[in-house]
Amino acid sequence: MPRSEQDARELTDEELDVYILARLEMIGVDLSVLPEDDEDAPADRRRILRSARQFLRSTPAAIAGFEFDAAGPPPAMYPAEQFAWNRE
Amino acid sequence: MTALTATAGLAPQELSAAVPRPGEEAQRPRVASDPGPTIRPTRLPAGAPIQATTTEELTLVEAAHLLRSRDVSAEEVVQAYLDRIERWDSDYRAFNTVLADEAIGAARARDAAGSEPQAPLGGLPLAIKDNFYTAGVPTTANSHLFRDFVPAFDATAWARLRGAGAILLGKTQMGPLATTAATTPDGERTTNNAWSPFDEDVSPGGSSSGTATAVAARLASSGTGTQTGGSITNPSNAQGLTGIKPTMGRVSLQGILPLTYTRDHVGPLARDARDAALMLQVMAGPDRADPRSLGLPSVPDYVAAVEPHGASDLRWPTRIGVWPGYLDEPTAPAEREREEDEGDVTAAAAERARRLFERRAAEVEARRSMLRAFEGLGAELVEIDEPEHWSDLTAWSFNNVRLPERSEIFLEHLREDVRGFGVSLSPWINGLLLPAAEYVRGQRAKLVLLRTILDDVFSRCDVVVQTQPFPFDIVGLPLIAFPIGFETGTTAGPRPMGGLLGGMPYAEDRLLSLAAAYQRATDWHRQRPADPDAFERPTSRARRGRIDVLDVMELTE
Repeated sequence: MPRSEQDARELTDEELDVYILARLEMIGVDLSVLPEDDEDAPADRRRILRSARQFLRSTPAAIAGFEFDAAGPPPAMYPAEQFAWNRE
Repeated sequence: MTALTATAGLAPQELSAAVPRPGEEAQRPRVASDPGPTIRPTRLPAGAPIQATTTEELTLVEAAHLLRSRDVSAEEVVQAYLDRIERWDSDYRAFNTVLADEAIGAARARDAAGSEPQAPLGGLPLAIKDNFYTAGVPTTANSHLFRDFVPAFDATAWARLRGAGAILLGKTQMGPLATTAATTPDGERTTNNAWSPFDEDVSPGGSSSGTATAVAARLASSGTGTQTGGSITNPSNAQGLTGIKPTMGRVSLQGILPLTYTRDHVGPLARDARDAALMLQVMAGPDRADPRSLGLPSVPDYVAAVEPHGASDLRWPTRIGVWPGYLDEPTAPAEREREEDEGDVTAAAAERARRLFERRAAEVEARRSMLRAFEGLGAELVEIDEPEHWSDLTAWSFNNVRLPERSEIFLEHLREDVRGFGVSLSPWINGLLLPAAEYVRGQRAKLVLLRTILDDVFSRCDVVVQTQPFPFDIVGLPLIAFPIGFETGTTAGPRPMGGLLGGMPYAEDRLLSLAAAYQRATDWHRQRPADPDAFERPTSRARRGRIDVLDVMELTE
């Protein structure tokens, strides 16, 4: 299971924001109802977008870079149960 | 659009992600929950002493024993807890709903029933986390989304406890939608650690912290929690309790407000392993309303597993795996400062570093003592090498694979108005951003992770020490948390420290038996926190602390 060393180009904040907002708009999720920047609010657009950018810069590439051996397994939603269902 | 219907050969099951959509009431499941097996009443072993000196100190099993012998009435038990709730819960804030009249009424009815009840939990009051459906009682999950939600039926786990005679004392505070330590929907901290009721720097644990505080503070004899990323075991360890997160499927998730499909688990938070075994025994087992609970190994006798067995202290010969670094001493703050050449360190930061160092040093000593105790009981300690690719498989990124599940479950709510998620919003938004290919790859990696644990860890040992719920939560393996000592010398009073053991799939009986054997040799589990009056009470309560929406993504839940 070697990991790919190839790093993607780091996208700018502006590029990521376009991606995030387009993706959300595509499925009808609207962040514009949040205040733009309000530390006293439970959530605002500035912090939600910042969290989303951090997430996109770390998680998808790390998972995509994980490579399986040739006989890689199928997906397993419930691995502990799969163990129980399949054992002799 | 053509409606899809179940066809011949497909069981008429529905996954238990029964989230009422915005503006809708929850529908009853098409498949009724199974009532669960009949559990015989638990009896204390002959001659076993009852340690408690007051009613509210009784463990669940002790109280059940005295109720059956009519040495105490259900009304006395319920009233003892209600008295403490009335006196102290404004300090602890463990409950968001207390059902005083209903609980007393149920207790009187039980007492009036006359003949010795066979129900194993007959007349015993429990604290139930507020993401369990409770028929006719608000179930809010501390979220704006379910502020007015009153389910029409009980979650299967609660229905089984109620069927065994338990009385609903109240619903407990929790992290909104089970994401953080207990807060209001907008992030204001609610619940305090029973061991440090006025120090908000002392965490009460994860999202089941309301139940943990209720049980630790003797506001309830036992309670329920859910765990997606540590929310049973973390609060149990933080508050000196015994909590077990069973294997995926062992307890039905029907009627639990879901956070994920694949990682939600139901389990007890209890005063000791014996109580945890009784609670789990009642809740566990197949339920046609939750297909994840079907086709699994039969439920063992947990109640028998926690009792002494023959001449040996351990019910089964047991090898305990110990990871590299488990007993490593922490780096002293001064050394670390020199190593990192950080330059100026504020007094507050230095104090935090000193407290953390002392905490870590005390934890290592407690772990060492725990392992010595297990050796004394006859267990064999086995050093486990870190498996190949372990750091990749257990990287935080793979933990994030859980996020799209919550986003999908709550998609209608997200489309309706994201403000309903309050302080918990960020992981729901981020879950919408993980591409499907990476989600599938994450699911494939889970099987590799399970195989690695089975082949490289459990080929050498029967249980393995853990320091955090991750990665056992990811693959659905069981964990048990139990108290192993106290950090003393803190200004806020003694703080419990906990041990954590992970087991093979469906090996809850072995985990419970080990914790019980350890508890027969130690008395950490019998220690109780002082009442709030023993602590220095703040002269004025400053505005309660809040968590930030950015911090929520760093949490394990």
